[in-house]
Amino acid sequence: MGWYNKRLAKSLWVFHISGSPCNNCDIEILDLITPKYDVERLGIKLVGSIRHADVLLITGVFNKKVAPKIRKIYEQAPKPIFVVAIGSCPSSGICFKDSYNIVQSREDVIPINMYIPGCPPKPEAMIEGVAKLMEILNG
Amino acid sequence: MKIKSNLKEISNKNQIPVGPFHPLLEEAEYFNLTVDGETVVDIDMDTGWMHRGHEFISEQKSFTQSIYLVERICGICSTSHPLAFVHALEDVGNIEIPLRARYIRTLVGELERIHSHLLWVGLAGHFIGYDTVWMWAWKYREPVLQMFEIISGNRNHYGMMRVGGVGKDVDPASIPELNKILDTLVKKMNMIAKIVNDDPVLRSRLIGVGVLTKKDAIDYCAVGPTSRASGVRGDVRKDEPIDAYDLVDFDEIITKNGDVYDKFVVRVLETIESIKICRQCLNKLKEIKGPFFNNVKEISAGEGIGRYEAPRGEVFHYVRTDGTNRVVRHKVRAPSFNNIPTFQASCKGIPIADALITLAGVDPCYCCTERAIRVSDKHNKNKKIDLLKLSRDKTLYIRRNA
Amino acid sequence: MADYHEFIEKMGSKIKVEIRKKRRLYFQVKNEDILEVVDYLFNKMECRLSTATATETYHGIEALYHFSDDNTGNYYCPRVVMKDKENPEMNSITPMIQGAEWIEREMAEWWGIKFIGHPRPIPLLSRNHPEDLNKPMRCRR
Repeated sequence: MGWYNKRLAKSLWVFHISGSPCNNCDIEILDLITPKYDVERLGIKLVGSIRHADVLLITGVFNKKVAPKIRKIYEQAPKPIFVVAIGSCPSSGICFKDSYNIVQSREDVIPINMYIPGCPPKPEAMIEGVAKLMEILNG
Repeated sequence: MKIKSNLKEISNKNQIPVGPFHPLLEEAEYFNLTVDGETVVDIDMDTGWMHRGHEFISEQKSFTQSIYLVERICGICSTSHPLAFVHALEDVGNIEIPLRARYIRTLVGELERIHSHLLWVGLAGHFIGYDTVWMWAWKYREPVLQMFEIISGNRNHYGMMRVGGVGKDVDPASIPELNKILDTLVKKMNMIAKIVNDDPVLRSRLIGVGVLTKKDAIDYCAVGPTSRASGVRGDVRKDEPIDAYDLVDFDEIITKNGDVYDKFVVRVLETIESIKICRQCLNKLKEIKGPFFNNVKEISAGEGIGRYEAPRGEVFHYVRTDGTNRVVRHKVRAPSFNNIPTFQASCKGIPIADALITLAGVDPCYCCTERAIRVSDKHNKNKKIDLLKLSRDKTLYIRRNA
Repeated sequence: MADYHEFIEKMGSKIKVEIRKKRRLYFQVKNEDILEVVDYLFNKMECRLSTATATETYHGIEALYHFSDDNTGNYYCPRVVMKDKENPEMNSITPMIQGAEWIEREMAEWWGIKFIGHPRPIPLLSRNHPEDLNKPMRCRR
């Protein structure tokens, strides 16, 4: 699959899911498309449907109501798909660990390939994460 | 029973009417619009996808830990909640704060209002097909985030508020640079104000759309720009002026039509007023010397209410303490909780192509709502309709046939 | 304080003032009188309903409403205490104020309070939830 991955790295299509976030990381993801950071010059595009996506970006500490839906979307995505978790929320649950409505481990819901911690992670950190992903894909 | 069976079929019938830049979720029904032909007849909402149980967690944390917790309720109005929370605790204990801290609090609050309104202008532009407005508005939002980084160290989630003052001081050496950034912002805001005033397509898309009458705004207890655009006066900064709001000079913006155009105008004019307030605060911070923090040792038992005018309306916090360093009860009410039910009144009778911009007009803080809309007709059959595409197509049609 | 003087005189024996300070008034009301007090606050004094808080204490379950008088910045907070912790119930103010619908639905699902006369008593945040949360904000001893 090496040649496929190299083609993929040239233009990654990204789909974004929010699993009960505070929306800060989501706004920072959208900030990446705006003129100051402009990831579209790297070939990255935000798509409207999971079936077109190569990378799945998830944010938020998952809620018990939302977790089955996220599982369903992950199953619908055409494989191979790389899951990148943005923010400190999916990494550890930060201050929401003690709540009655939160799943205790995000990895139980969907497998995650890369974590980008930060609350919210700066756009430069997210671009570095994407660059690492492209490096991995390029072998 | 009928509702349950519809739930099972939702797997591929929901629409994602809003583009990929929303904290959206497929495969779940949030809004259920009932249409009759081309007109929206009714709307129902299923919420709870973001519920994390803040009130429950807050009972187990100390006051200062709660400030960090409360910041993460919403990322866009990330200073409004801590401000309302510290106001509530100061209300319980009748605590005074130093003058320098009052100006710093007001400065951070108003900068947040500017960045939040610019965010909304960008989204509104995207919904009606003006992607250029989206890119411009978010590009001119970046200097504001840079100002936050100079003042507090982070672009969002500043962690600035403490009971009895603020956590960090504004360095006097950075004030000239902050003033320079404000000057560039004024020019751009005036440009956006001119667009709103002159552009014929914008006016024809937004005027008369999604009207919320004054009586409905009072009945549904709406707050913020949603109710001010309908002619109902009410602004926490004028009604209960604490921090530095009684020491600075600004106007309250009220219009009377209640449609989405008026909401746009109210937000743009409020941004211009906020820039005025920021400038006054920065000038005062150059001259005033003194402490920025009043070290409070304990808070007595009692009940307190704190509120603040967030960009979306009044944020309300109620705390009940018992003399220890934890709350007994902490109640949070975000402004969108009161504003979102007004959809039931403003969505009736509008063509479906305008449904999206009407829903966005309220500027729901997405931590309370998401935006996957399922459309069904009178007989409860699901229809496959892409609301974003409909909205943008209507703009194209108007431009071609103008 | 001169601000609340007129209100307290008008209400007379229906209310029992607990805390009275600058811009805040907390008073207790019985379930039978709550509709009359709310009618006076909402329709005659033109106050806006901000929200309502429910708490569980030793004495029972209380529902504390918060009304804001936007012209003066004062807050009026009537409190209804329900002594029966197994089946707390009180009159709903939603028929009078449309904006109270979501507020009372939230109190009903997290504390188990039954609001008599509420037009749509279905859960708000835990509708279609995969598991039954069972009144999570009640104390468990």
